[in-house]
Amino acid sequence: MLSPAITPSTDANTDDGSILSVTGLTKVFVSGGKEFRAVDDVSLSVNAGDVLGIVGESGSGKSTVARLVMRLIEPTAGRIVFEGGDLTAKSGEELRRMRRHMQIVFQNPHSSLDPRHTIHSALAEPFLIQTNLRGIELERRIDALLDIVSLPKAFKYRFPHELSGGQKQRICIARAVALEPRLLVLDEPTSALDVSVQAQIITFLQELRQRLNLTYLFISHNLAVVRHICDHVIVMNQGKVLEQGTTESVFAHPQNDYTRQLIDSVPRLPRLAI
Amino acid sequence: MTALLSIENYHLDIPTFDGTLKVLDGINLSLAQGETLGIVGESGCGKTVLARSILGIGPQRARRTSGRMTFDSMPLDELNEAEWRRIRGVKISMIFQDPMTYLNPLLTVGRQLSDVLVAHARALSRPALSRQERRRRCSELLDQVQIRDPERVEASYPHQLSGGMRQRILIAMALAGEPKLLIADEPTTALDVTIQAQILDLLRDLVHRLGLTVVMISHDVGAIAAIAQRVAVMYAGVVVEQGATNDILTHPRHPYTQGLLGALPDIEGDHQSLEAIPGTIPNLIHPPSGCRFHPRCPRATAICTSDKPAMTSIGADHVVACHHALD
Repeated sequence: MLSPAITPSTDANTDDGSILSVTGLTKVFVSGGKEFRAVDDVSLSVNAGDVLGIVGESGSGKSTVARLVMRLIEPTAGRIVFEGGDLTAKSGEELRRMRRHMQIVFQNPHSSLDPRHTIHSALAEPFLIQTNLRGIELERRIDALLDIVSLPKAFKYRFPHELSGGQKQRICIARAVALEPRLLVLDEPTSALDVSVQAQIITFLQELRQRLNLTYLFISHNLAVVRHICDHVIVMNQGKVLEQGTTESVFAHPQNDYTRQLIDSVPRLPRLAI
Repeated sequence: MTALLSIENYHLDIPTFDGTLKVLDGINLSLAQGETLGIVGESGCGKTVLARSILGIGPQRARRTSGRMTFDSMPLDELNEAEWRRIRGVKISMIFQDPMTYLNPLLTVGRQLSDVLVAHARALSRPALSRQERRRRCSELLDQVQIRDPERVEASYPHQLSGGMRQRILIAMALAGEPKLLIADEPTTALDVTIQAQILDLLRDLVHRLGLTVVMISHDVGAIAAIAQRVAVMYAGVVVEQGATNDILTHPRHPYTQGLLGALPDIEGDHQSLEAIPGTIPNLIHPPSGCRFHPRCPRATAICTSDKPAMTSIGADHVVACHHALD
């Protein structure tokens, strides 16, 4: 059963410390008789409590990897092992039970919330689907979630259009952590937001990871953000992994020409004199 | 040096069902020939409305309540539609964030570029160009935006070209009338970083080669820093700080500018924590009294809630509107 308050989950790591490991992941889309390899033989592994970043430009396949890991789309080939269980081999009830431990936050908070549902029903939905929590207990949990994302409880009664972009993204994050997942896939979570709001969300995500002992798979095209938040990073281009390593080593000593070009393309700011 | 464009004490209101949005609240900007000015600010700060107002294509219901804009010693606010036609797209042209929206998907790029030439000739009451002349001018324009295979590109439809290529086409169209002023509204926001770098290079090259004057609008401080000599920082319809780019970025004097820069993660990887600006942008129907930034400002005092700070000069080319400017 669910504990009444959100507490860190520390159990269930596999032997090598990785919470998610992906091998030979491939996705081929077929359209008009033509094959397109969106993801081509991608392997990666994320240690529990780490933040793994995937960077790449549009069309690199980074978002497809996120969707494959969540099994929102079916891989053409490859294995996804989450907490020791082979996700690709699961289906039905077994898969549904796994799903509560891995959640995703999408890029555009404006299209991630049903405009006809209040914030309350958006936040209640995971509990109604995955748990038996109802009534006053459910209300408490929803209040606690709003508290976690630092929004007033009165927001329950609002509709998405009454919230700003940053507030909506907080709601999406609250909903994603509702069931105390162990892995959070963040697909460009700040790309639709202004920089000052992006700073709020990033700072908040960093705190939340500490507090709930979460593991992040952080997908972004923004190299500065990735450098700021990720421990390890994977560089993708045209469906393939070009380079991977600790964030520090990839950014300081990129081995691949494309990675170097990517990093050099980011406009630099003069130093603040403060 | 006389200003090519000057905006003085410009106020703009937009009536809505909920009340009147006070979108621009006393904007003062001036731009010399050949200069590149960056306007930076977050969503809803009024930067796009300002840019569109320069071109006379602001929101339809928008009303100028006071102030004026002068371009090349012409009062822009007093032009009639016939006069606008000789200026808009000809003397002042504009490029936008999403080039696909501004290209017709059903016509080839060559056809659309040549249509622009026809329209300009008509607007300026000049004799129409012959087919050969249009051809020649089209390849000249494509050459200016560094497109290496003009024949293929002219024969292509917009969907057959990449985002960076489409933006080059849009820039070529904007250059067709040999404008004095180019307004670039988030020209690189929809593009990947490597392509963004190419487009910024191109814009810099055009400024250098054609002596073009540019107003570049962006929420991306990095893109602005890469191209603009001077920057104006906007917040909630007000220019809060203005000056030489390097000066503003290294010595921000307005608390908002400082907050904005502190919120940027650094690609060089100094693992300082990001400082978010608390609160959210104000509702412009009931903007905060006094300084519009005061509810979110760490330095705010009583005077900030009552008096609107005046633009004060604090350096050779550096002005700030703040009662408690940073040292």
